[in-house]
Amino acid sequence: MSGRAVAIVGGATTKFGVRPATWSELVQEVGVALGRAVPELRSETVDSLFVGAAEPERFAFQSHVAPLAAEQLGLKPHRILQRNELACASGQSAIRSAYAAIASGLSEVAVVVGVEKMNLPSMAEANSAMGCVMDRPWDGPAGATAPPFFAMVAQRHMLEFGTTEEQLAAVSEKNHRFANTNPNAQFHEKTFSRDKLLRLPLIAPPLRLGDCSSMTDGAAAVVLTSEEHVREYTDTPAWVRGSGQYSDFHNLAHAGSLTEWNGLRRASREALGRAGIEVGDLDLAELHDCFTISEIVEYEALGLCRSGEGGKFAEDGRGNLGGDLVVNPRGGLLGCGHPLGATGVAQAVEVFQQFASIVPPARQVPEPEWALVHNLSGSANVHSVMVYQRGGAA
Amino acid sequence: MSGDSARRRRGAASVVVAPAPPPEARAAEAPPANPAPKPVPRRPFLLDFFPLETPDQTRLHRFYDRLREGRVSTTRCLRDGSLHWPPRTACPSCRSEELEWVDLPEHGHIYAFSAVLAGAPLGMETEVPFAVGLVDIDGTPLRLFGRIEGRPWTELRVGAPVRTEAYDIGDGRMFYRFRTTE
Repeated sequence: MSGRAVAIVGGATTKFGVRPATWSELVQEVGVALGRAVPELRSETVDSLFVGAAEPERFAFQSHVAPLAAEQLGLKPHRILQRNELACASGQSAIRSAYAAIASGLSEVAVVVGVEKMNLPSMAEANSAMGCVMDRPWDGPAGATAPPFFAMVAQRHMLEFGTTEEQLAAVSEKNHRFANTNPNAQFHEKTFSRDKLLRLPLIAPPLRLGDCSSMTDGAAAVVLTSEEHVREYTDTPAWVRGSGQYSDFHNLAHAGSLTEWNGLRRASREALGRAGIEVGDLDLAELHDCFTISEIVEYEALGLCRSGEGGKFAEDGRGNLGGDLVVNPRGGLLGCGHPLGATGVAQAVEVFQQFASIVPPARQVPEPEWALVHNLSGSANVHSVMVYQRGGAA
Repeated sequence: MSGDSARRRRGAASVVVAPAPPPEARAAEAPPANPAPKPVPRRPFLLDFFPLETPDQTRLHRFYDRLREGRVSTTRCLRDGSLHWPPRTACPSCRSEELEWVDLPEHGHIYAFSAVLAGAPLGMETEVPFAVGLVDIDGTPLRLFGRIEGRPWTELRVGAPVRTEAYDIGDGRMFYRFRTTE
């Protein structure tokens, strides 16, 4: 990587779920949690703030959210203050901006906050907000939101490769099981057997309720700094070693085969290449399981298995602890819920905590060194990937 | 509007897309002298999934005018010949603004489909369940996304034939959808 080495040196999340709290209250809450998790952090040393927020205009009727978040956190940024919007990948987008700012020398210490308040009194209004993510004047009038799009991905995957509902359920079961180890997950302490998952109602066939991540309120935050300051905060930094992003369409009609996520192949190749590693070197991956089928296609596009074999990969438990690599140990979007702006940041928090060995033993990956974080956004038309390495010299 | 009788024969008559005025003239850009009566949207625009279709809001208003004539159309670049979807005001491959309107072939086949059984956006809750899908338009490289009417989602299949259809959404505005033909 060019520029200075940059690492995540701490992070925290709020409880994810249907929260009786406003957008600003969630930001205050994650500020308190971050202060506890990174006691060395001083407000006056934070020069920059990046806010990952997908749709505060729709869900909270609020724009100009970066200074609002700074005020909630008690920060007065004097280098860079900005909000990052990339729908479901807004959080990772904010981390990437902070990384670039620090690597270039523009910033020394940056806070990244990801936040979304999604549960409104009217679910139809909230669903309309989700529809804005598509090419609204063309995709919107049909009633397009995420579930029918990813349902078509699942339909084609089943048609082309024989993927089954049971294999979809295997992804959901795994991630819900991991969520049971995560008190901040929306579906903590809820059991979902494959049989139970297969009896849940259809939302957008062939996808059932348990195949879909939910509408979630929550916030997450991380601190990034340069190699010059890392040791002031932690002995187990998560170094940013690679990043990649690729986008080749937006309108639903341009989604191509649906089952071949070329954007993820390109973005992960870029990120892994910059880190100088292969996919087989990874110890854990936080993949964007907005739907069960997403995680299956992601196994394939990352090269963990061949095209069409993602369902079998799930069925055989190769993403479990003790498998090829651990996928979504914090519980994924399926188990934790998916507060759009917060998700990418919460995934980075998990990587930091896994490297620091401070997660519950039931999901601790043994001595992880390499981790990959992936977010897709919209109709899988943008793929964003970061690669992190634990500790060691800069 | 959904019947065959409402559909005009698809001719070759092409109309050049209203080109953007040169930069020095843009300040003088004004709606046409005799605009069609403005449809009144049923709900505030920011809660409405249907677009604003009139010449004072979009340079692509002819797309909606042509729907009113039963024609589902799109733009084709006069310079490099590329066919667009959705319609454009500038060609994405050569950046030309000299485009023409062309009717799309009426028939197509379902590439993929699903149905919205829950989680419909505001204003569409009463339409649940409804089917949506990606349709390959015969004789073109185009794939369109839209509603599929004619049969319940449980009776649809990948590869089934459909045709395009223009319809009045109920407040004077127009949109397109698909209807099964088997």
